[in-house]
Amino acid sequence: MTFRQFAFNNVFRNKRLYAAYFLSSLFSVMVFFTFAVFAFHPALGQGAVVQSVSIALTTAEGIIFAFAFFYVLYSMGAFLKTRKNEFGLLIMQGMSPIQLRLMVFLENLLIGFFATIGGIGLGLVFAKLILLIAENVLIIGTDLDFYMPVKAIVLTFAAFALLFLFISFFTAAILRSGKLIDLMKSKKQSKGEPKASKWLALLVVLLIGSGYAVALRVEGVYVAAALVPVVIVVVAGTYFLFTQLSVFIIRRLKEKPSVFWKKTNMLLFSDLSFRMKDNARTFFMVAIVSTVAFSAIGTLYGFKSLLNSAIKEENAYSITYTLSEKNTEIEQQEVSKINEVLADKGVEARDEHMLLTYFQVEGNKDPLLIVKVSDFNRFAAMIGQKPAVVSANGAAAIEYTNEMFEAYESGEELTDLRIPLLSGGSLKPNQVIKTHTMPVSRGLIVSDSIFEQLGKPVQSEPFYAWMSDDSAEKLVEAGKVLSEELQNGEQPYFFASDFALYILNAGYGPTLFVGLFIGMVFFISAGSILYFRLYSDLDEDKEKFKAVAKMGLTEQELKRVLNQQIALLFFSPIVVALIHGVVALTALSNMFYQPFFVECIYVLLIFTTIQIIYFFIVRYFYIKQIKSAL
Amino acid sequence: MLNVKGVSKTYEGKVSYRALTDIQLTIEEGEFVGVMGPSGSGKTTLLNMIATIDEPTTGEILLNGQNPHQLKKNDLAKFRRRELGFVFQDFNLLHTLTVEENMVLPLTLDGEKVSEMKKKAATIAEQLGITEIMNKRTYEISGGQAQRAAVARAMIHSPSLLLADEPTGNLDSKSSKAVMEMLEEINRTKKTTMMLVTHDPQAASYCQRVIFIRDGKLYTEIHRGDNRQAFFQKIIDTLSLLGGDAHDLSSIRV
Repeated sequence: MTFRQFAFNNVFRNKRLYAAYFLSSLFSVMVFFTFAVFAFHPALGQGAVVQSVSIALTTAEGIIFAFAFFYVLYSMGAFLKTRKNEFGLLIMQGMSPIQLRLMVFLENLLIGFFATIGGIGLGLVFAKLILLIAENVLIIGTDLDFYMPVKAIVLTFAAFALLFLFISFFTAAILRSGKLIDLMKSKKQSKGEPKASKWLALLVVLLIGSGYAVALRVEGVYVAAALVPVVIVVVAGTYFLFTQLSVFIIRRLKEKPSVFWKKTNMLLFSDLSFRMKDNARTFFMVAIVSTVAFSAIGTLYGFKSLLNSAIKEENAYSITYTLSEKNTEIEQQEVSKINEVLADKGVEARDEHMLLTYFQVEGNKDPLLIVKVSDFNRFAAMIGQKPAVVSANGAAAIEYTNEMFEAYESGEELTDLRIPLLSGGSLKPNQVIKTHTMPVSRGLIVSDSIFEQLGKPVQSEPFYAWMSDDSAEKLVEAGKVLSEELQNGEQPYFFASDFALYILNAGYGPTLFVGLFIGMVFFISAGSILYFRLYSDLDEDKEKFKAVAKMGLTEQELKRVLNQQIALLFFSPIVVALIHGVVALTALSNMFYQPFFVECIYVLLIFTTIQIIYFFIVRYFYIKQIKSAL
Repeated sequence: MLNVKGVSKTYEGKVSYRALTDIQLTIEEGEFVGVMGPSGSGKTTLLNMIATIDEPTTGEILLNGQNPHQLKKNDLAKFRRRELGFVFQDFNLLHTLTVEENMVLPLTLDGEKVSEMKKKAATIAEQLGITEIMNKRTYEISGGQAQRAAVARAMIHSPSLLLADEPTGNLDSKSSKAVMEMLEEINRTKKTTMMLVTHDPQAASYCQRVIFIRDGKLYTEIHRGDNRQAFFQKIIDTLSLLGGDAHDLSSIRV
C-alpha cells in the first residue's frame, strides 16, 4: 500500500461518508453542463435575436459557475468538519501536515474527477428535458433538437477541472490540523451553547420592521432608490434573526418549565439551542438564497404575465387594420391581402368593418369619435361583449379601462359635453360604458337616428377587425407573413395581437428562462444545504435517541420529535424567505403601480410545494436511519 | 530512555483544574511499565503527554534525550511514525482499510517500499497469529483480533516506545490474556520499551514495574519479582491502600 493507494482506498471504501460531498459536486457539474448544452445549442446560433440572448446566457453561465464554486467549497468545508477524529488518528500515526494536505488534495481530485464525469453523464440524460423546457419557454421558432454537445462537454470539463484543482489547493491550504488533543476528542467536545443578547434580538425587530415598512410604503421610482438600503437592512436583520433572536427565544422557552419540561419538548429544545450555533449561519444563507430565487422568479413571471395581459386586454381582436382616411386603392388591396393570407394559413375568422367618424365638439379639443350604436354592437358582438343600448335621444360615453393603468380617461368627463344636433336640440351623454371594442380611448355611442343629425364628420377612418378562435400558432404564422408584406407605418396601421404577443414573449423568453433556471438551481441547492446540515447531526442523534430509547420512548414520540426537528430545520429559513419574498414582490409591484399578486402567490405556492415534498422525502429517510440505530 | 521531568498539567477554563503535579518518572530501555490509579487520577493525561497528543503545562519530557514537544510539526510527524507506537482502548483502526493496510499505515506514511512493508506485515502477523485475517476489514473481525491488529500496527515500525491506553478495556478475559501475553512476549524478545495505562490489575501484573498515581501525583511504585501471581496480589493490596473505589478493583471486564 503506497500513500496514493491509501488515499484512494480511503475514498472508495467509505463511499457513504463521501457521498454527500460527491453528490453536491455532481449536482453543480450537472447544472452547469445542462445549461451549457442549452446555451451552446446550434439553433441558438442563428438569427438576429441572438446577440442579446448570447450575452444573457454567458452571464448566466458565469453566475452558475460562481455559485458552483461557493457551493462546492461550502460542501467541502462541511465535509472536512465531520472528519476531525479521523485526521487526529492519522496524525497520531505520524502523518505530517503536508501528507494530510496531500491526502485531502488527492481525495478532492478523485471526487472532482468522478463528479465531473458523472455530472456530464447525468446532464446528457437531462439535456433533452431542458431543451424541451427551453423550447416552450423560449420562443425561438425552431425546435431545439438533441445534439452531441461537444463544446459544452469540453467547457464543463475544463471549467470544473480548474474549479476542483483550485478548491483542492484552497482547502488543503486552509486545512489547519489544530491541536491533536482537540482533534482526537472532537467527538466528545461540546461546542457550547450560543449566547444571545437582548439588545441584538430587539435590533432584529427594528431592522426587519423598518426594512419592511420602507419597502411597503414607497412607490414608483422611489422603489429603485430604496432597494439597496432596504436589502442591506433586511439582510442584516435576517442574520441577527437567526443568530440572536432565535437563540433568545429558545432560551426563554427553556427557562419556562411549563414549556420545556413538557413531554418531548425537552428532547427537542435542548438540542435546538446547541445546534443553533451551527444552524444559524446555514439558515441565514438558505433564507437569503431562497429569497433571491423567489423574488427573481416572481418578478420575471409577474412581469411577463403583466405584459401579456396588457396586450391581450388592449387588443380585443385578433387582427385590426386602420387607415387615417378613405383610400380605396390601398385599402382594398391590403384588406384582400389580409383575407388571402388568413385563408392561406387556414384561419377561420369573422370580420367586420366600419368607418370611425370624428366630429368637432365644443368643449373637446380634438375631434371626438362618435359611432352609431348599430356599428358598435356589430363589433361588440364579435368580441362577445354586451350590446350597448342607447335611448333614441341619448348617448353613451366610452371609457377605455385597463387593469394596468386603472383608467386612461374618465368617461365621466364626457358626460359634461353638449353635442348640438342638426335638428336644433342637443345631446347629453347619460351613461358610461367600459369597453375595448373601439380602437380609441374615448368617444360616444349614439342611436342610429341621432347619428344622422350630427352632420358631416371632420374625419373618417376605415377600421377593419378580424376575430378568430383558431389556434394561436396559425394566427402567429399569418401575422408574421402579413407584418412583413403590408406597408406598416403610422397609418395605415396593422396590428396582429397574437403575433405581437409572440414577438414580446420571444424577446422576453431568454430572460425568463435563465431566471427560472437560476432561481430553481438556487432553490434546490438551498434544500441540499439543509440536507447536509441535518445529516451532519445524524450520528449525534442516533446516540441521543439510542440513550433515550433505553429510558422508554414510543415510536410515536420518536417520530414526533424528529418531525418537529426536521420541520424546524426545513421550514424556518423558507418561511422567512417566503415573507421576504412577498414583501419584495409587493415592493416591486408598487414600482409598476400594478399588483401581480396572483402571480406572486402562484410562484410562492410552487416553491412551498417543492419544499414540502423535499421535507417528506428527507424525513422518511432520516427517521428510517434513526430507527435502524435503536 | 524516557525521562519525565517535573511535569505538571493544568486545564484552563472557568474552573482551572490541575490534572498532574510535578511528575518525575524514568523508564529504562526495554522496560515494561504499568501506570495505575483511580479514575481521574491523571494517568491518561500523562500518557497523552508522552504520546505527544497533549502538551505539559510545565516541565519537560525527554525521549532518548530529545524533547518531542519542541519539534516542528513535520519533524513531530516523523517522530511519531518512527519512534512511537500507540494502542488505544477502542482500537482506533481505520474502517476503510483492511487489517493489513491498517498495520502498514505508519510505514506507508513514511514512504517505505511495498515489498518491505509486505514482508514486515507478514512477519508480525505470523508472530501475533493474525495471518488469516490480514485481508479482512475491521468490522469483520472480533475485538481481540482488532486489538492484536492494533498492536501489530503499533509494532510494525519497531518503535522505541510503545504506549498502550487501556488496551484490554474492551476485551473479554481470554482476549485480554492473549493481548497481554503478546505484549510481554514482544517486550521480552524485541526489547521494546512499553508503557501501559490500565485499570485492570490482571493486565498490570504482566508489567515489570507498576507506578501508582493518585490525584495527579505519584503515589508509589512496586516491582515484579519472578512470580506474576504474587505481583498481582501486591497490585491489589496497593490499590486498596490507594483508597480507590471498589470499582477499580473489580476491573472493567464484563
